[in-house]
Amino acid sequence: MIDSPAILIDTTRCVGCEECVVACKEENGLGKDRPWRGQGAIDALSATRNCTVHRRPDDHFVLQQCRHCHEPACVSACLVGAMQKTPEGPVIYDSDRCMGCRYCMLACPYGIPRYDWDKATPLVHKCTMCHHRLIEGGVPACVEACPQEATVFGSRTDLLAEADRRIAADPETYIDRIFGEHEVGGTSVLYVSDIPLDFLSWKPDLGTEALPDLTWQSLSKVPPVILGMGAFMGGAYWVINRRMKLASMADDGGTTVVVDPAIPASDEDAGAETPMTPEDEETNA
Amino acid sequence: MLNRLTILKSFLWASVGVLAAVSVVRFTRGLGAVTNLSDASPWGLWIGFDVMAGVALAAGGFVMAATVYIFGLEKYRSCVRPAILTALLGYLAVAVGLLYDLGLPWNIWHPMIYWQHHSVLFEVAVCVMLYLTVLSLEFAPVVLEHPLFGRPIFQRILKFLRKVTIPLVIVGIVLSTLHQSSLGSLFLIAPARLHPLWYSSIIYVFYFISAIGLGLMMVVLEGLLSSYFFGHKVKKDLLPGVGMAASIVLWVYVVLRLVDLAVRGDLGMAFDGSWQSLLFLFELGMAAILPASLLLVRRIRSSITGMAICSSLTVLGMIGYRLNMSIVAFTRPEGWGYFPSWEEIAVSVGIVSCCILVFLFFVEHLKVYDEPAHVDPMKPSYDAATLHDLMPGEQASPRRYSLVAVMSAAVALLFLPVKGAETVRTPVSVPRMVEGYQVSRQAGDFHALAILGAEEWSQSAESPIPLLAINGNRDATLVLFNHAGHVDRQGGDESCRTCHHLDLPYDRNSSCFECHRDMYEPTALFDHSFHVQALEGNDGCTECHSDGSEVKSYETATACVECHRNPEGSGLILELPGSRWGDAVGYMDAMHGLCVTCHERNAREEPGRFADLLDRCDACHDADFSGMLEEMTPVRKISSNVVQGGH
Repeated sequence: MIDSPAILIDTTRCVGCEECVVACKEENGLGKDRPWRGQGAIDALSATRNCTVHRRPDDHFVLQQCRHCHEPACVSACLVGAMQKTPEGPVIYDSDRCMGCRYCMLACPYGIPRYDWDKATPLVHKCTMCHHRLIEGGVPACVEACPQEATVFGSRTDLLAEADRRIAADPETYIDRIFGEHEVGGTSVLYVSDIPLDFLSWKPDLGTEALPDLTWQSLSKVPPVILGMGAFMGGAYWVINRRMKLASMADDGGTTVVVDPAIPASDEDAGAETPMTPEDEETNA
Repeated sequence: MLNRLTILKSFLWASVGVLAAVSVVRFTRGLGAVTNLSDASPWGLWIGFDVMAGVALAAGGFVMAATVYIFGLEKYRSCVRPAILTALLGYLAVAVGLLYDLGLPWNIWHPMIYWQHHSVLFEVAVCVMLYLTVLSLEFAPVVLEHPLFGRPIFQRILKFLRKVTIPLVIVGIVLSTLHQSSLGSLFLIAPARLHPLWYSSIIYVFYFISAIGLGLMMVVLEGLLSSYFFGHKVKKDLLPGVGMAASIVLWVYVVLRLVDLAVRGDLGMAFDGSWQSLLFLFELGMAAILPASLLLVRRIRSSITGMAICSSLTVLGMIGYRLNMSIVAFTRPEGWGYFPSWEEIAVSVGIVSCCILVFLFFVEHLKVYDEPAHVDPMKPSYDAATLHDLMPGEQASPRRYSLVAVMSAAVALLFLPVKGAETVRTPVSVPRMVEGYQVSRQAGDFHALAILGAEEWSQSAESPIPLLAINGNRDATLVLFNHAGHVDRQGGDESCRTCHHLDLPYDRNSSCFECHRDMYEPTALFDHSFHVQALEGNDGCTECHSDGSEVKSYETATACVECHRNPEGSGLILELPGSRWGDAVGYMDAMHGLCVTCHERNAREEPGRFADLLDRCDACHDADFSGMLEEMTPVRKISSNVVQGGH
């Protein structure tokens, strides 16, 4: 077991042979491609492709797959824990728990999870970094299949060092940035590239803040809201109820107060009983 | 006989019929068969309208409960029961809508056992479940008052429920506060996708305040509508108060949204004329600014028409707000647009119709409103011509409504994709065809190809032939390819499979190098002796094998493309423009996308010369298994002119 496993993708080495895609399809039993409507190209991610190679202008190829974020938005979004961040690092999917709300698909900043739209019992599909191979000490199928060593597997620390070394060795080719080092709190799949990789995420600059922190700002307010709202409503009821009781006592003393005739003078029952019933029954009768 | 209520109910039952038909297809064929959802639009109308807008529309329940029970504004007491009934039905509609939307609806109870405190959706789910329980308990007394539940045990429950009304109301308010706001928090996780006009770190505040305003206006609209349909007298004295309260809440909402935009520095974006900005202004204007301004006028506040207009504006506008947030304002890649299918709309309409029908049922049989409900006339009517006694309304309605529902379900079935979703096929791009020459070289069987106009070749060439320009090795270089020549050499019509794989749709064909990889095999493309000759003998070795210390092999030699760049000069390899790709396709796509298309056209244009061979499905697909088109006749003899030249 490697400590915090990661994948480093070097787009300058990728020749677009798609051996990784084939290996991934075989390893995960994804079957024939069933492209869904709206999918402009067959080689986009789909329920039958957990990873794919994008062709960019001028002989550039970019492997797209799940980033296995350190603080994954999909995991924080999932309300039944079907998306899980394993202690080993990969983000995996437990179909037994899933209820199919697809919030993970909405939450992912990279648009990774895909859905079986054409099935009556649909599941979410995404790369698991071959978690089942990892726990047996293996490497992901895509890495194993790559003839160019464009994807390499190792511990994240080592790979960051390797990425730094490659960028330093050829600063003219590479963009001086390790994609995934800091984005959305850091990801386990890192890229070094000679072309911008903006197209892989919904927005060019995703920022370094982990997305779950954004929702936590709202979720952390739940206990104060419960207490505050409960206390406020209870207090308001107590104060207003008491005032009205006093007012009605004053009424009995002879002051004229305009009251809706449909409502009984005594407000004590107003809360606990439904006081209009007897009167309305009379009028209805 | 045909009064407003009958027409309304007939329409509602028709929608329920359609809903029933769509439900069958939805649950047997999956989401894809009836929705326009895709990986880029995982949430559509069912979430945007049924859940997001549904919960907001049901906000009247907690707002009115707070007004009357907590703040003691007794004159609105007559609004509480309808508001709570609306809320109860609204939340039931949310739950039912979710059953349609969830991919695995039978797992809808999972949040009860798999607790995920870090998920906003979990908080919403728990709150909605609890609030649904609270609402049932709040509404239960209305049911238990019915004479049917006269037994002491029910009366004891009723007495208990009345005693705990206030705690229930407070719990209901707290739960509503939580999930009304959290529905907005759901979108906090998607800062990259939601448009900045809608994304804000305090979405939950907007959602909560807009829900209060919407709840008030919904109570008004609903009161006015039921007065219209049941012939009740509108309680005009209640309108100005609610109107004023709604106006204040809506103004707070407007100011908050604009101030939030200003603080984030995106206020200019609201007026920059983009369609998002127009949508934003339209939504905010319709939901809040316009009605809130109108409501400030006392005459509008007190008039039925004025309140009807204002409340309709807010209700529609706020539904728009929810739809914008969950559907419209989301980033999608080019070509992945989303507009709900008619089935999605039918399900949403059908669920709302169910709710209205249940609402009407409760109003007619229980004491929801102070006034007794106007029920279908019980007295029998007569056929004017024969004086024949027609059925009394009580018996006639079920028959009429079931007929309407069944008919509409039948009509809907006609239009439904009963067989399920079809996955779309990727359009196959036609490879570029060029006219060219095949040039025989002096050194034996080797051929070279050149495009028309390459002067130095034209002398030795025969007549021009069609050539394909393909990205044969998928290495971004274009090569000229003589398709007819390959068909001939590979053994005619039965050889397609050699390069185009038979069984894999969308697969690409074999790369050129899979055959042409070794210069010592007959398939070699590289004519070494020709190069030796052309580079003038041994002196030319270093042209390609430049490093003398290395073994002289293919791996160490200069790449072909280094010299053969210019197609009109002495080379054959073209640089491929980055944006255009000429991947050769797999067998199935080649047949369906390319071959059949041309053959159909040829057979149409020149019927005598081109027989209708490939344009008929049974040319390849076994006619004996016509029901199973996928069963392909392994090899069918078709005449030799089927594959001719480049396609």
